[in-house]
Formats: sequence, C-alpha cells, structure tokens
Amino acid sequence: MKRSLPARVLLAAALLLTASPAFSIPTDVTYAEGDASIRFKTGKQQTAEIGAVVNTGDMLKTGRDGRVELDQKGVVLKISPNTIFALMERERKGSTTPVLSVALGSIKFRYDKLTGKEPTVQTNGCAMGVRGTEFSVFAGADGSTLVLVDSGSVEVEAEGKTVALAPDEGVEVTLGQGPGEKFAVHRDQVDYSKWNDEKLTAMLADPAAAMTGIEARMASYIASVTEYDGLYRESRQRLDEERKKKTAILEQKGKEEAQKLEEQVISPLAFQTGYLFLNVRYFSLAALSLRRYVGGRMYMFMKSRYIATPAEPAWIEFRGRFDRLLESFEQSVVPQLTAEDI
Amino acid sequence: MRPPIKKLVALLAVAISLMSCASIQRAQDQGRVGQIARLINSGEAEKLAAMSAVPFLLDQEIIPLRADIATFWRNVVQAGYKVEGPELERGQPVSADSIRTFADTMEVKAFFARSVKKGARVIELSTSGGRRIVLLVRDTLFSRTLYGFKGPF
Repeated sequence: MKRSLPARVLLAAALLLTASPAFSIPTDVTYAEGDASIRFKTGKQQTAEIGAVVNTGDMLKTGRDGRVELDQKGVVLKISPNTIFALMERERKGSTTPVLSVALGSIKFRYDKLTGKEPTVQTNGCAMGVRGTEFSVFAGADGSTLVLVDSGSVEVEAEGKTVALAPDEGVEVTLGQGPGEKFAVHRDQVDYSKWNDEKLTAMLADPAAAMTGIEARMASYIASVTEYDGLYRESRQRLDEERKKKTAILEQKGKEEAQKLEEQVISPLAFQTGYLFLNVRYFSLAALSLRRYVGGRMYMFMKSRYIATPAEPAWIEFRGRFDRLLESFEQSVVPQLTAEDI
Repeated sequence: MRPPIKKLVALLAVAISLMSCASIQRAQDQGRVGQIARLINSGEAEKLAAMSAVPFLLDQEIIPLRADIATFWRNVVQAGYKVEGPELERGQPVSADSIRTFADTMEVKAFFARSVKKGARVIELSTSGGRRIVLLVRDTLFSRTLYGFKGPF
C-alpha cells in the first residue's frame, strides 16, 4: 500500500515519539530584537519574541537588524543578523541525533557543560562534532563555512575528511570539498561581513567553480535520499508483512505468541523504519537548504548581474547548469518534501 | 414600460457594468505596469525594494531575506536594465494557470498558497525588444506590493 508523504511523516513521528525521548529539542527564545521570525514546521509563522519555544523542524530567520538568543538547556546560541537557522534531526548509530543547522549567516555557540550527547552542528558544506564550549559558525554566500573555536575543541567534517580545532584555531570549508588547513585566529577579530563579501566576489568571479561545489554537494544529498528511501520502503513493506503475520498468529496460536513476535520482530523493525524515514527527511531538507540558501541566492546574484545582457556566455552556461540542478532536485528531492517545508 | 423591455434594459445594464469593470481592471493593470517600469527605468532601487514583499518570487526562486531583495533591485539598476516600451498583455487574478506562468513546481505553488495575499494579480507585459515580463502585484487602498518578478524571457 502506498502512503502519502504527510501520512508517512506522521507515521514515522509516531514510531519515534514512542521510542525516543530525544525526538524533540525544545529551545527557548531568551532574547530577540529587530527583524526576526520563526517558521514552525506546520508552516505557521510568527515574530520571534522572548518566551517563544522552537522545536525540531522549526526555522528561525533574522533580517538586517535582527538578533536572537536561544537557550537549549545548557547551550546558548547567539544568532546574528541575516541568518537562517533550523532545528533538525537524523538517525546515527541507531538513535536520534539532533542537528543544529546554520543554513546562512552566523551563530555563536556557548555550552555551559558538555554531556557527550551534544547535537551535531552543520552548514550546507560541513558537519561539526561539538567537543568545545565556545565557538562560532559562519555560513557564507557561496556555501563556504568558517568555524572558529574560542574554547574547548570542535571536529569539523566534510566530504569524509575531519579536522580537529583547538582554542584560537579556525578552518574554512569550501562547498563540495574537505576542510582546508587550520589556522590561528584571535577571538572576535574576524569580520564575518568582510569574509562573506570576499566569498561572494569570488563566487561571481568564477561562477562555474561555485556551481561545481553546489552540484557535488547536491549529488551527495540526492544519493543519500535515494539510498535511505529505498531502504525505508523495503523496511516498511517488511513491517506491514510482519503485522499481517501477527494477526494470523493471534488467531491461530494465541496472544502470547503474537506478543512474542511483536517484541522480537515488529517493535525493532518499527524503530528501524522510523529511523530510515527520519534520514530520508533529513537529507531532503538539507538538499532544500542547499538549493534555497546557496543555489537560489547565487541565481539571484547572477540574474541581476546579467539581466541587461542575457546573451553573455557566463549567464547562459550558469543558467543551463542551474536548470539541470533544479531538474535533479525536482525528481529526487521534491517527492520527499511537504508544502510546509517550503 | 413592458416587461420584455425592462428585462432588456436590465441585461444591458449588467453588460455595460461588466464591460466597465473589465476596462477599469485593465486600466488599473496598466497603471501597475507603468509605475513599476518607471521605477526600474529611473533607477529607484530603494523604492522597488520597499514595495517588494518578503519572501519574494524571482522567476522560480523564493528569496527569503529582505537584504537580498534589496540587493537584487540595486544590481538590476546597476546593470543598466530598462523596461523599454512596456505594453500590458494581460492581467489575471491568481489561479492555477497564472501560478504556472511563474513555474509549475511545488515550491512556487507553496509560495502562492502561503505568501501571496488574496486579491493579487498576475500581470504579463511585453517590451519593445519582444521580451516578456510577469509581475505579481497586489494593491490595497494606500499601497502596492510587488510579490514577484519574472523575466525578461
């Protein structure tokens, strides 16, 4: 039986809600000023105000003068202007892992204490394992990431390569590539705006190179979406079959045998199915973030640059590659999204 | 007055009022086209940004940040783009068909459903160079909001 996407979302949520206390990360807005809004996973939007609570699946956006501070039981997040931040989650090693996603802009993280179960921090270009207590993440216009550590340590992973950063160290990650060489940095001496402007200038100077990074990252997300979706469908089908088997056993052999099947087979399979679906959603939303906040912004910059000269080869080449990127996104990712995700 | 004549007069009145509604609507659409083309041609990037809604639809792309929308209009002006000889082709209320004028994608449909207020119109215009532009505009009593821009194509 084929289920609609919203039904699958609800089913996976139900499976995981009963299974994992870490399913949701309630996060309080403790400070807000200027233009700042929250978009809840239901699609509803509201101004970010002190006392508001954001959860997994919700997104926070700050405008030119917007600043927000969040408290997530032990970790304080200071969100700078022109930033887009989302609370996500994925499955890792058989359990739910919260993910703090910086799609665009910059956030400073400060941990009061480390429990060993810190959420993964990620951008469109890399993921960070938190071992430190104070660090900043900058997500640039071209999808590049800059990570700077004030205290403790942070492991930055991209394209299978990892770099461990100690206090007063930083690293830059170019989209579609592994982390670069780490460098020494003095806290609060990095001008994010300047760094972002440089990234933007470089992107527009060589749009083909920037597109290569976006394409590589999108291809990697699509491969993960396709892989997990295939596994999810198989697991879902097996779960349906086992449930039918349980009904038959209940009639033929009684309650005890049916319960045994529930505990030994159905319950673990339900967890596995829920986790697989969680990963399908996680990679789909990561692909949407890349498409919207890196690809879409690049389109806007390129379009406005060449609007009076549309026959320029640079624009024609970019448009062709961008259209192909959208086509693959439409085919492989959009079927996994709901209207509320957009 | 005999009843059939009364009926004829009533029908005529309805027909005239419908025709004038259509011509008023067309005149309003022409006004919208004229104003936006004028702002672009005279390089009024700040006014265009202030008139633009957040999020903003650029072709098939949803632009979520006000700063980016302002950058877009600034760049358009800096690029020297002009809307030469704008002619209203057609204006229509938002419908499944007019949504497809922008792009036939789930993202664009979701944008229209969530971000575009009731009463908006999709206005197509041609330019003297033979290219077309689509505007997504909504007027209230005292203001005009530009929700989207597509083209030239």
